[in-house]
Amino acid sequence: MPNNLKSPNDAAAQDEPILKVEGLVKRFGDTTVIKELSFEVQPGQVVVLVGPSGTGKSTFLRCVNGLEDIQGGKIIFEGEEVKARHSNITAIRRRIGMIFQNFNLYPHLTAVENVTLAPVKVLKESPESAKERAMELFRKVRLEHRATAYPGEMSGGEQQRVAIARALAMNPALMMFDEPTSALDPETVGDVLAVMEELAAEGRTMLVVTHEMAFADHVGDRMLFMDGGYVVEDGPPSELLNNPKNDRTRQFVNSVLKPEAAMKGTADSSEVPPNIAAR
Amino acid sequence: MILIEYGGALLRGLGITLWVSCLALILAAVVGALIGIARTSKFMSLRVAATAYTEFFRSLPTLVMLFFVFYGLTAAFNINLSPFVAATIALGLEGSALMSEVVRGGLQSVGKGQKEAALSSGMPVWQVELYVVWPQAIRVMLPPAVGVYVSTLKGSALASSIGFVELMQTGLLVRERVQNDYDGFTVLIAVAVIYTIVNYAISQAGAHIERKSNYAQ
Repeated sequence: MPNNLKSPNDAAAQDEPILKVEGLVKRFGDTTVIKELSFEVQPGQVVVLVGPSGTGKSTFLRCVNGLEDIQGGKIIFEGEEVKARHSNITAIRRRIGMIFQNFNLYPHLTAVENVTLAPVKVLKESPESAKERAMELFRKVRLEHRATAYPGEMSGGEQQRVAIARALAMNPALMMFDEPTSALDPETVGDVLAVMEELAAEGRTMLVVTHEMAFADHVGDRMLFMDGGYVVEDGPPSELLNNPKNDRTRQFVNSVLKPEAAMKGTADSSEVPPNIAAR
Repeated sequence: MILIEYGGALLRGLGITLWVSCLALILAAVVGALIGIARTSKFMSLRVAATAYTEFFRSLPTLVMLFFVFYGLTAAFNINLSPFVAATIALGLEGSALMSEVVRGGLQSVGKGQKEAALSSGMPVWQVELYVVWPQAIRVMLPPAVGVYVSTLKGSALASSIGFVELMQTGLLVRERVQNDYDGFTVLIAVAVIYTIVNYAISQAGAHIERKSNYAQ
């Protein structure tokens, strides 16, 4: 596939980073999930986080918008330090869109009400203009015919696209996706990835945790491979996928890209932690 | 016919029964909501205190509560309450213990992801509760809350024992007045039928509201 859909991050590389992570440490009780994490995201970059389950990728996203507090280091978003318990956290969250694995749409509201709730209540937009913009967003995610449906009446893929529209309605500076297609039926995954690819092409800054390697390769500007609470390898996706420098990266890539090879004796290939082979 | 002669009195009694249980339910809802919220608090001490409240008032028999409020407060603090006020407070306190369970259950039924999604969109906590958590929780609370109202209404019959003239006490007074076992029994049956019809109607109304407020899951 041609790479010309990627966002023009080269020009933006000179700007201030939109997100700066310095020596982040995250513990749950005695378990240290993130041991040391430092990296920067430039505006317009699409950064893909990959790695085996339980290595802190999702936890990291949750730290960025203050859903988890952190035990060490710093997260700086648009020049402001993110602290879960600080009063500026709601202002920061307005600038960050979050897409969850399980969509988390509000079941008591229709699709369009899901999208307009925060713009109307938080940004004090008029209900009419918020609704108008919601309908524009529904056209963008190709759901204009489902605007008045309730989440319970929609497929997973449709719900996730509503969730994307809901995040976009706040016009965020950064979009974070936490395994957006992991809970979907295979036939609806493509619709969601297509929408995400369009967002990337528009030059949106995105942080994506995913197991969809083809998508990561095609859309990502940069891939971080996380394992054991560290970033093990950081570079262009094609580099990591075709020519991994680190052993653990290679094992992971092999297990994800060539499931048949890793399937010997296991039912679920994508969930095989690469370190099993190393033991 | 005895019921034609005293029917009006019984219906007045029913009115008072409905009125006192309505007031008690309002008290129960307000106090129960506060206790229920405290029971889902992240502060341990608040949770413990709220749980103690619930367990204490839920364990007391309604009759004990009525006597305690009506006679106890007079004896201890020289507060003189009318039977009406005492019945409202006693039924309200008992109802608040039941309501706190209903509120806690409703709040806990709303998934953690709902709160997180709303917080992520930049809503302050009060908006998250008002627009996302409570609208979903109330749908869950409604059916058991109707149950609390029915049990409060039934419990109000015990207020006859502190001399509060509601439906039950009206029935008892009429029965004494007629001095005829057959007519007296007729009056008691009438009282029983009135309670049954009213409680059944309330339950059905609750079920109707529940059906109307359901959305596709």
